[in-house]
Amino acid sequence: MITGTPVIETRGLVKRYGDHLAVAGIDLVVGRGEIYGLVGPNGAGKTTTMKILATLLSPSAGEAYVTGIPVDADPLEVRRRIGYMPDFYGVYDDLKVWEYLDFFARCYGVPANRRATMIGELLTIVGLEEKRNAYVEALSRGMRQRLCLAHTLVHDPALLILDEPASGLDPRARVEMREILRELRAMGKTVLVSSHILPELAEMCTGVGIIDRGRLLRSGSIHEIEQSLRATALLRIEILGDEAARIAAAEWLRTDSRVGDVLEAAPDGGGVIRLEVAFDGNTDAQADVLRTMIEAGHRVVGFNQATSDLEEIFLKVTGQTDEEAAA
Amino acid sequence: MTATSATFGGTRRSAPREFGSAVVTIMVKELRSRMRGRRAFIVLTVYLAILALITYGVYTVVAPNVGGGGFVGGLGQANASAVIGQSIFTVLSIFQLILVSFIAPAFTSGQISMEREKQTLDLLVSTPMRPGAIVVGKLAAALAFVVLMIVAAIPITAIVLMYGGASVDDIVRQQLVLLATALALGAIGLFYSALLKRTQSATVLTYITLLALTLGTVMIFIFWNVVMNQAEGGGFGRQDRPPEQLMYVNPMVAMLDVVSNTEPGGFGAITGMLGELRGETFNLGGEVQCDGNQCFPVDDRGNIVEVDGSSSGYWWPRISLTFVGLAVVLTLLSMRLVVPAGMRWAFSRPRRRPALISPSPGVSVDTAAEGAPTIEELAADVEPPAEEDR
Repeated sequence: MITGTPVIETRGLVKRYGDHLAVAGIDLVVGRGEIYGLVGPNGAGKTTTMKILATLLSPSAGEAYVTGIPVDADPLEVRRRIGYMPDFYGVYDDLKVWEYLDFFARCYGVPANRRATMIGELLTIVGLEEKRNAYVEALSRGMRQRLCLAHTLVHDPALLILDEPASGLDPRARVEMREILRELRAMGKTVLVSSHILPELAEMCTGVGIIDRGRLLRSGSIHEIEQSLRATALLRIEILGDEAARIAAAEWLRTDSRVGDVLEAAPDGGGVIRLEVAFDGNTDAQADVLRTMIEAGHRVVGFNQATSDLEEIFLKVTGQTDEEAAA
Repeated sequence: MTATSATFGGTRRSAPREFGSAVVTIMVKELRSRMRGRRAFIVLTVYLAILALITYGVYTVVAPNVGGGGFVGGLGQANASAVIGQSIFTVLSIFQLILVSFIAPAFTSGQISMEREKQTLDLLVSTPMRPGAIVVGKLAAALAFVVLMIVAAIPITAIVLMYGGASVDDIVRQQLVLLATALALGAIGLFYSALLKRTQSATVLTYITLLALTLGTVMIFIFWNVVMNQAEGGGFGRQDRPPEQLMYVNPMVAMLDVVSNTEPGGFGAITGMLGELRGETFNLGGEVQCDGNQCFPVDDRGNIVEVDGSSSGYWWPRISLTFVGLAVVLTLLSMRLVVPAGMRWAFSRPRRRPALISPSPGVSVDTAAEGAPTIEELAADVEPPAEEDR
């Protein structure tokens, strides 16, 4: 659990653009040392939330605090404690890499005697040491992204706000970016990172918030979110047999009250039949079903829960709100 | 290029010092990219070459005429030399003003809009630098190069001291007018750059404004004059005149005023022209008659005209001051414009500052959080932010 002052805390955060609610009451708490991922489709309110925390937008209502400081009361002080990397940004092409970092270090008032060593350290962290004297212009997209990440660190902030740091990067550059975030986590930084792809964040985040249409739908560790959804797990059951066995198995499953829907797939050449079953029960209940199913004579060769697929969690969570909205 | 490092202290500094070092930060960065490569040196070289050519050209045209009793008759050797000096000074000053008028806004009219276009502004405004420091730093960086150009041309201007006809005082005045012009036009460019999204439109508007200030004011003045005279039925003597304040924004009038001081005895074509702007009808053809060190204006029939004194020196201080004022106002406006609409609240004062301020930006959160009020205490203390839509 979180102890002490949370690094980020928002309460009923609202941002309105005319009639459009970009952020519709977000309550977010991120403790020190956490890597918190905001996941949501484009236009969900991730960037707006981050901009409010980065003191680039004012909230229409609600409160937001960074290390206990209200963002709208003392933005300059908040800025000294955060490093912000926007989703879209440009770099000064005509500067050299070290000059770029030196410029931002000066912007944050880093003393001259600390700047030179700090620039070297940062370039090592983001893997751009040998590009020190290269022009920013000559860097690849992934390198620019890493340079921008380095610029957020020049003043040793407590919190990093990274808006889609891996967007537009090739798989290799994504992996590199992920490695850097791990390193930052080891350095004890608190990181708020956003993405529209959940699996990208799953590995490295201690906490995840799923956000859609300006609302925070779920918040917690990936595990917790999975658990909360387990009640309506999707089971993938594989049975050995022919057409008759498939019908029998489906019939048998439907007699169970916990089974919602059974989706039957045609048997493939190997004689393995795949069934997808919407199941309303925890892992205990699933074990029960598996046991009784085998006892009933079905030749089960595969039985697993499909919710480990993060994309599905995401779709399910955002899909639920569609239903809630329709209801 | 790594100068001014001493201005950065380790601990939180006072607001003016912080502002100052932020200005220097922007300047260092701007000058780094501006002075890089050959461009800056080519611009400077071409500028000086043009001025040198003009000087030589004026000399070759004027010198043969004054020496052998050409169109300016009856001049002694000293006076002939003075005429050469005065001619060079006049042409050089006017050309320098024209060049500076075109170059100064070119340096500033892209400074903010370019950051918008290249999406670098967000990174810049999310630093703890005040928008004012960003704007002032940008203006100072642009002007630094223009000042370099103006100052680098002093030796060329100083050639006139060899011939006489213009004094050191005249050169100082000329420099002041050039600097004030560069400042005002630079601020105009920066203002449009902060106001408009695209650099192109900012540049176009800046030059339209430049034309309006120079040619536009003169045309309005003449038009106004004509309309008034018609209304009065074309009377004689002193008439109602358009406000002379119209000319307070015209850099060319300021430079002509400076130049007019070098006209023999302070009376000549330029003095007469400027006098007309103020309604002083000398009715002079710009001819003077000199007797030793004293020169007097003469009228159409060659009689010496008694006038109160030269009005030279009337315009340039007024115009320069107007320019400085204009630059200050436009810079202040640009400061507001450089902040994105969504965050103007951030710099509107007074706002209650929370008690939670650590002694240094580098301090860790742990120490900052200790003994700090809890969120609940702070929350109770903070006024709700103003609703900005409806």
